[in-house]
Amino acid sequence: MADHESLLPESSIPGDEVRRRKEFLEFTDNDVSVLEGVNEVAIRYADSMIDDFYRHLMSFDETRAFFADPELLKHVKGMQKNYFMRLTQGNYDQVYVAERIKIGQIHERVGLPVKSYFGMYCFYLRAVLGRLQEEYKATPEQAFKVFNSLMKLTFFDMGLAIDTYIESRERTIQGQQEAIRELSTPVLLLRPGLLLLPIIGLIDTLRARQLTEQLLRSVRTNRARVVVIDVTGVPSVDTKVANHLVQTVEAARLMGAVSIVSGIAPDIAQTMVRLGIDLRRIRTVGDLQSGIEEAERQLGYMVVKNEAAESEDGK
Amino acid sequence: MNRARAPILKLGETLVVSVQEALMDADLVGLRDELVAEVKMYRATCVIIDVTVLDVLDSFAARTLRHIAQMTQLLGARTVIVGIQPDVAFAMVQLGLTLQGTETALDLEDALSRLNLKLGRDRRAQ
Repeated sequence: MADHESLLPESSIPGDEVRRRKEFLEFTDNDVSVLEGVNEVAIRYADSMIDDFYRHLMSFDETRAFFADPELLKHVKGMQKNYFMRLTQGNYDQVYVAERIKIGQIHERVGLPVKSYFGMYCFYLRAVLGRLQEEYKATPEQAFKVFNSLMKLTFFDMGLAIDTYIESRERTIQGQQEAIRELSTPVLLLRPGLLLLPIIGLIDTLRARQLTEQLLRSVRTNRARVVVIDVTGVPSVDTKVANHLVQTVEAARLMGAVSIVSGIAPDIAQTMVRLGIDLRRIRTVGDLQSGIEEAERQLGYMVVKNEAAESEDGK
Repeated sequence: MNRARAPILKLGETLVVSVQEALMDADLVGLRDELVAEVKMYRATCVIIDVTVLDVLDSFAARTLRHIAQMTQLLGARTVIVGIQPDVAFAMVQLGLTLQGTETALDLEDALSRLNLKLGRDRRAQ
């Protein structure tokens, strides 16, 4: 567990936000003193509470799987007991918040589903309620008061824990978006001096910039003479996209590389003409094959079919 | 002064201008005049201008380079600009400075191999 913690990303929420959350839950100093008042009761019930709690967890396949190791079970039971007592120890401050976030992160990391997380909190509250009824048989209104405060606090904790789940998902999505951006602009060396830049997806200003920069770098490192820019995967071309394309081609030309644009779809060609986009300064060909053939011709390559090898393969 | 900043080297029928440091507008004009005179004097057929060291090419520089290409063309020499860096190329197209109608090459080696190819063919043709 200690190892886990050191690997977790640093995250906390500002004190201001903590205050606003408490306000929204109407969690006041009064609640704090009510909870502190039952600390002695909590200590008395802690062990039976935790036993019930884990009996419940262990009776479902989905949650039992997380506690297969008896050592681990013992450890988390200890942690859970600490948490149970902590609920009635006051000082629900930044340190408390950081602890809750850390616990949420650990649960998220081991893959405990959100539904189980909520379910466990629900069981927690019900189990506590049972004990409060027992403890305050004579004064049920006191039991109600304590339960009310406890509910606010546990909902506060739940909010913090679930936020860590969401935050982690968002981090994943962000990482993937970056990966997609990187992946979507590969510059491939096809033959010495011949680069292929397949463009897939929409071209916006940022992407056009990345694309151009990457192409220019590749032109230099690969000493490319000809670049085939294939736009088969570009769903639509407007004036802006065409301008980006022209800029990319001209930047490559300044470095001595000739560009051939291939794969403009028929309907895109129609749109471009209708929009009055002029690509006459760019060499364009119908498909990728023609683009590569044209490039090879310019570079002096000649592809010859090996008849003998083909008939061998045929056998 | 221009000699030190952008010496003109003679290599057979080719003149190679090797820009050594950032050029002021006056240096560019000086280079242009000198180059045109030398093309005439040496009956050069090719001019290579190496701008590898430049980290910026403004509109005046771009225009002067284009003028040099056009002027030498009139004297029977083709001009190749070499060594424009990726960042510079990107900045230039953003500013609309595309050196339209001027030949470019990656670097000196690239330019020489292109010219040799041409020369070789010409010789065979003769």
